[in-house]
Amino acid sequence: MTTLFRKSLIGLVLAGSTALPALSQEISWIYCGDKIDPVHEKYIKEWEAANSGWKIAVEVVGWAQCQDKATTLAAAGSPAGMAYVGSRTLKEFALNDLIVEVPMSDEEKAAYYPHIVDTVTFEGTQWGVPIAFSTKAFYWNKDLFTQAGLDPEKPPTTWAEEIEYAKIIKEKTGIAGYGLPAKTFDNTMHQFLHWVYTNNGQVIDADGNIKLDSPQVLAALQAYKDITPYSVEGATAYEQNEIRAIFLDGKVGMIQASVGAAMRLKDTKINWGVTTLPLGPEAGGPGTLLITDSLAVFKGSGVEEKAVEFAKYITSPDIQIEYELSPDAGLTPLRPSAKVDALVAEIPYWKPFIDGIAYGGPEPLFTDYKGLQNVMIEMVQSVVTGAAEPQAALTKAAAALEEYK
Amino acid sequence: MIKSRSSLIFAWALLAPAILYVLVIVAWPLVETFRLSFTDASLRKVTNYVGWRNYDKIFNETFLTVITRTFTWTFFSVLFKMVIGTFGAVLLNAAVPGRNLFRILTMPPWIVPMAIGIFMWGWMYNGQFGMISGLLQRFGLVDGPVAFLAYGRPAYWATIVTDVWIGVPMVTIYFLAAIQAIPRDLYEAAWTDGASRWTRFRRITLPLMAPAIITMSMLSLIATFNSFDIIWILTQGGPSGSTTTMIIDTYQTAIGSKKYGEGAARAVVICLFLSLFCIAYFRVTRRLAATDKA
Repeated sequence: MTTLFRKSLIGLVLAGSTALPALSQEISWIYCGDKIDPVHEKYIKEWEAANSGWKIAVEVVGWAQCQDKATTLAAAGSPAGMAYVGSRTLKEFALNDLIVEVPMSDEEKAAYYPHIVDTVTFEGTQWGVPIAFSTKAFYWNKDLFTQAGLDPEKPPTTWAEEIEYAKIIKEKTGIAGYGLPAKTFDNTMHQFLHWVYTNNGQVIDADGNIKLDSPQVLAALQAYKDITPYSVEGATAYEQNEIRAIFLDGKVGMIQASVGAAMRLKDTKINWGVTTLPLGPEAGGPGTLLITDSLAVFKGSGVEEKAVEFAKYITSPDIQIEYELSPDAGLTPLRPSAKVDALVAEIPYWKPFIDGIAYGGPEPLFTDYKGLQNVMIEMVQSVVTGAAEPQAALTKAAAALEEYK
Repeated sequence: MIKSRSSLIFAWALLAPAILYVLVIVAWPLVETFRLSFTDASLRKVTNYVGWRNYDKIFNETFLTVITRTFTWTFFSVLFKMVIGTFGAVLLNAAVPGRNLFRILTMPPWIVPMAIGIFMWGWMYNGQFGMISGLLQRFGLVDGPVAFLAYGRPAYWATIVTDVWIGVPMVTIYFLAAIQAIPRDLYEAAWTDGASRWTRFRRITLPLMAPAIITMSMLSLIATFNSFDIIWILTQGGPSGSTTTMIIDTYQTAIGSKKYGEGAARAVVICLFLSLFCIAYFRVTRRLAATDKA
């Protein structure tokens, strides 16, 4: 009897131990990129250890398909628990009742740099937790400046100077003065918006009125037209990372790029500098487009509450700064902190990426962001290829955007 | 009677998995796509039937341009594959030293995973780092970098070239098999009569290869019309929509813009065109089979 009891007990324990993983609840996370960042990997393990019975199931999906995958799953009624999405999609998801609110306390909001919370806010509440932030600054190749007879320590501060310097570099060295990306790719719109936000322009206002057809944006589009002849030949063949590769190869004088370029430039022999983006005639101060990616928590997964808790944990200040400053990330910090101050003091090239935030603008929130993107790309490409004049392209685009707001 | 009934049941039992597979994997999605094409399905949870609105909407000037572009793109791509495939097969069949090596060298485009092959072409077309632009500059044929994917017309032709590169090996090998099936004595008789190489090709090879050419043209037409990967990886339909074909436009509408109803209507139009091609293919193959029997 005793033997039978013992055997039964062992059997029960074994059965229980194998059944335990099946009892654990899973939060699926669609994670954009080539691999999961080691910082996230580390803290997922910590969270799982602290939340027994819960597991984070990460599915890494390439950037090109990531957004579409999360959207398609949600639309098909089998949503992921959580997905890494461009914050620009949040409005569309919210309007279609696909994601849950992730409200922030005043204290949480105050911890971020200005405008960051705006990128995830719609109808007065937050719909995602910012996890990645990108600002751009202006890089120039000092050797090419010298070859062209320009002062290598004096980068352009205005669009007029930028266009003039691009012309001089092209004419004096035969090398492209500026790297203008205009491929059929999302960052073609982003790069143009940097120009819009360095001239006090807007795409849509807080009341949902399209503000694209304005003198500020027209000036930006005209500047695009003016700088194209001195830019990398065939702008419509390149997106911003391909332009960055050309800069790293010393084949272009000036580009606008994220801090990731500085990290890569350290491994080259290029003599370079970085500063805030040159300003348009109506700029209020140094600006940039503020792009954030967020963790969106989908409705209907059954684990919404726990997913929100995890999203807040993985983006909490200490973990987030560790992720942002990891070598491969190339991200601008989301929150000011003593660590950021120390970083800027130690590595000065970080400064322009922080300085641009004050006058920066968030990525416009549209109900159909792909529609917005397609219209903006078409507008830029038509001007760059000479198929349309800036004013005509702008008027056409502004009218087309009404359908997508 | 009993035996024949049990045979019938046995036959249906054997067929059942295949029938079920076709119903679930092919028939149901087709029917569902057709149904969806009459709705305003999108990310919204509520879907309404909208009659023919999606079809009315797509047959605008832009979509008609896309249809025309799809047909011309397919036509040139299939034409080049057939012409290059025919001459490639003739060359590989010729009794030249190293013939086996040439046969092996034909295969890489077919063996290399398609996406990798397309990325390789993307780099070759790159103006700054690409081999083609580099060679053109080295030989002094152009002044500076040439970005083939930057402008509408070059991008259109560049995607065709890549599609031809990927498609030619299969066509060549198929045609080579057809050539090898031609009786040698026909060539010997023609040679004895003093027929030149060109005459032998024109009077013997080409006519006897015709069934293979027609069959392969039809199959290639169906595959090329629906070709997605090449254009998507190289240009995503750009610049300014100059390489947007029907399948790219459908993907952009349905998956990109999440207009599932409109996307389904486009998919139905593609399906109709492909059905016509398939009907033509079956008619042609049936006629060829009848000719063979006669």
